[in-house]
Amino acid sequence: MEYKNVLTTCPFCGTGCGFFLQVLDGKIVGVLPDKKHPVSQGSLCVKGWNAHGFIYHEDRLKSPLIRRNGKLVEASWDEAIELVATRLGEIKAKHGPDSIALLASAKATNEENYLFQKFGRAVIGTNNIDHCARL
Amino acid sequence: MTNSFPDLEEAQVILITGSNTTEQHPIIATRLIKLQDKGAKIIVIDPRYTQIAQIADIYLRQKPGTDLAWFNGLMHVILRDNLANQDFIKERTEGFEELKAKVADYTPERVEEITGIPAEKLVEVAHLYAKAERSAIFYCMGITQHTTGVQHVWQCANLAMLTGHIGRPGTGVNPLRGQNNVQGACDMGGLPNVFPAYQPVTKDDAREKFQQAWGVEKLPAEVGMTIMEMMHGLENGKVKAMWVMGENPSLSDPDINHVNKALQAAEFLIVQDVFLSETAQLAHVVLPAASYAEKDGTFSNTERRVQRVRKAIEPLYGSKSDMEIICLVARKMGARGFDFETPQQVMAEINQLTPSYGGITYERLEELGALIWPCPNGEHPGTPFLHKDKFARGLGLFHAIDHQPPAEEPDEEYPFILTTGRIMFHYHTGTMTRRIEKLDREVPTCVIEINPADASRIGLNGKNKVRLQSRRGELIAEAKTTERVDPGVVFMPFHFVEAAANILTNPALDPVAKIPEYKVCAVRVELAE
Amino acid sequence: MDQRLEALLQTIQKVLPDVDGIIGLKVNAAGHIAPHLFRKEAPAELDGLAIWPKYPTPDTLRLIQKAHPGAKLGMVVRGCEERGVVEMFKHAQVDLSNISLIGLQCTREEAEFCRCAKPYTAHAKLTVGEPIEGVPDPVTEGFLAKTREERLEYWKEQLVRCIKCYGCRNVCPQCFCNVCALEDEKWVGTGWLPMPLPPMYHLVRSMHMTAKCVACRECEEVCPADIPMAIQYRLIAGDVKEMFGYETGVSMDEKPPQLLVLAEGEFERTGLPH
Repeated sequence: MEYKNVLTTCPFCGTGCGFFLQVLDGKIVGVLPDKKHPVSQGSLCVKGWNAHGFIYHEDRLKSPLIRRNGKLVEASWDEAIELVATRLGEIKAKHGPDSIALLASAKATNEENYLFQKFGRAVIGTNNIDHCARL
Repeated sequence: MTNSFPDLEEAQVILITGSNTTEQHPIIATRLIKLQDKGAKIIVIDPRYTQIAQIADIYLRQKPGTDLAWFNGLMHVILRDNLANQDFIKERTEGFEELKAKVADYTPERVEEITGIPAEKLVEVAHLYAKAERSAIFYCMGITQHTTGVQHVWQCANLAMLTGHIGRPGTGVNPLRGQNNVQGACDMGGLPNVFPAYQPVTKDDAREKFQQAWGVEKLPAEVGMTIMEMMHGLENGKVKAMWVMGENPSLSDPDINHVNKALQAAEFLIVQDVFLSETAQLAHVVLPAASYAEKDGTFSNTERRVQRVRKAIEPLYGSKSDMEIICLVARKMGARGFDFETPQQVMAEINQLTPSYGGITYERLEELGALIWPCPNGEHPGTPFLHKDKFARGLGLFHAIDHQPPAEEPDEEYPFILTTGRIMFHYHTGTMTRRIEKLDREVPTCVIEINPADASRIGLNGKNKVRLQSRRGELIAEAKTTERVDPGVVFMPFHFVEAAANILTNPALDPVAKIPEYKVCAVRVELAE
Repeated sequence: MDQRLEALLQTIQKVLPDVDGIIGLKVNAAGHIAPHLFRKEAPAELDGLAIWPKYPTPDTLRLIQKAHPGAKLGMVVRGCEERGVVEMFKHAQVDLSNISLIGLQCTREEAEFCRCAKPYTAHAKLTVGEPIEGVPDPVTEGFLAKTREERLEYWKEQLVRCIKCYGCRNVCPQCFCNVCALEDEKWVGTGWLPMPLPPMYHLVRSMHMTAKCVACRECEEVCPADIPMAIQYRLIAGDVKEMFGYETGVSMDEKPPQLLVLAEGEFERTGLPH
């Protein structure tokens, strides 16, 4: 029996409200606002209150998918990573680094965005990196 | 934002434009509204009579796409009535004479003709904003998503500098960033022209610094492609492969019929996401990503406040964090410098290379809760408001700007202006929110807003559906009649794949920021049955 | 360390060996506080024991008990939280047979923050701190000083600010229905802000707080718009006391009147005082 509250930051808009994810026996069971939070001051909007609502959704991707004969079929992580690395390497070799483009994400963390642009610039060798900042 | 929420509590006048704050940034809206109780005045200038417009002390409704004109009108009145802050203009700015000459032509009467804002109301707002000791401007995508988006932002800065409402608590120019970490994605160099902390890829010393840090011989020196250019590149064969991390351009970009054709043309499309998004359905490889609740990290909000994201549970259903996926691919390609086990280790590297994040460590975040950049070192307390004694470029530069019409105006064939946006209960392309039952029940599908006068003119009553057509495409959706929009204007949210607003929108871009004109395009509206 | 916190810590340490866990509040390094289940397997966590700001812990008990019906638990309760668990018990939401309540008496400052009439516990065997008298509620008094017309205007002004976050419902320890009337389109329209008048959301919620509200004021605290909705609940609680002689949280075995009505048929109306 374990119940704890994990403080995190809302994944929806740019306000940056803080809330706790209530975790009971390793499962997220709800959201609680953070009364001491400098931005949200103990409040949340309807999206924040329901920010746990999609985490266990049945539509979650459950395995890497690879397109074979026009259809996306399940594959292992090893296969998928191998394919990505090989194809990116081939395309870079054949068409040059600028034939590859990367969309970073306003939903991902700072650390992930940092690594993604580092990958694009240092490994692929292109500045074709953008994200939906304008959308 | 130039300022942050705690100091903005001191604002006496709050000018909100192009922001449906209540629905896009609900907790910012309620914080601002509560300031009314302390005597602050709220002014809303927006084509839609939104909730915050209803609560505002003054509401002005402009015709979509006429913002440059009313900004000039406000500045005209401020100069005419001697309300400008001459000391600030003299000490902190340049280009004032050009601005003065430009706005001289924009009398309130002329501005009324262009924008539809009553002349006397414009004067009232100019006085209210300029005379207060502390006035703050808030804007959102209603200001930026125009072919003149950058000029709109300059106008916000013009207005703030003209009155000296910047560089102090309770003032400033405060863009409300739309996505939880759009600020951070920009800060981290998720852009074609800059490394982290906006260090230009075109600058030799910046490249040298990163070459050395990353152990690579030569980093590319040319500015890369923006999203829209990537899409064109896919179509014309310049771009062969695309890796999309947690975005859904298939629904979020303008003129999506065109975007989808481009994505389908990709030789190799990698999409990593939590769900099989519309974009993922087109991919060659789909990688299941962990959600925010399943990983550690940081997000940077609209105030530049860097806060922790904490792992509440282990990654579900065999998914992996975006960090792990990137590192796996990089290592598989033989790259060095991707041996990270925790985001904390990545942040340590960010600290070294990103001056504004230099002092933002996990240890300090644990202790302080959050830090607002610029925070150059481990002793620095962070920077709640910018431009205190000087601007980034030294003197603040006024830009003199004429009114220009939007790229596409209504005509006989397409007589309505379509403006798009979000609603309270959904988020962006709905990948997450449409799967949350409590949100979905509020608004299960797309509903267009149309003025009752227009509705009766096209014969709309009760439950009819409408067909919207633009030069790019057409769709059918439910409609609600409401005075929230003016006659001649229809609003629609872009969350819904079954009536995807971006089938209609105009991919015309601002020439500088490359932002599409989502807020104005011409459409035809008729009964669907 | 605060004297009351020190005393609470000692009481918890005394109780902990005999239970599976104790529900209380825990603070992190940056001062953020949330409910927590303290367990003997992790005694160091008690270093983070905290008491303010309070959180809706009755709901924490309900969550944990649902997953662990037989668990032997301790729980730190203030007056309002005790009233919360007592009413939940009467509505069969929690089982109190295995629960040791540790009463934490509120300070005057805390009571004033909550405009609380009863800042003390009534049932907990173990208590910490000295009970104090209730304090006045200037917000409700100010409301009562208004004319009928002014009251209407007041609510209109307040309720147009509602952003329909459902926070007041979500945080309420007495809102545990599986089917919520606020999510029934017959009562409350969907998807539009501001919500139209008459303010069905808040009217329905007020009615549903009848003989249920325990005056913890969590609803007002989470409200992003600072709507003082507890005024309504407090006035209704006054009516319930006057008409039915019922007060929430006072007695363990006195059934709430709405349950009584169901058992004995229609209650005779005696006229509404307000």
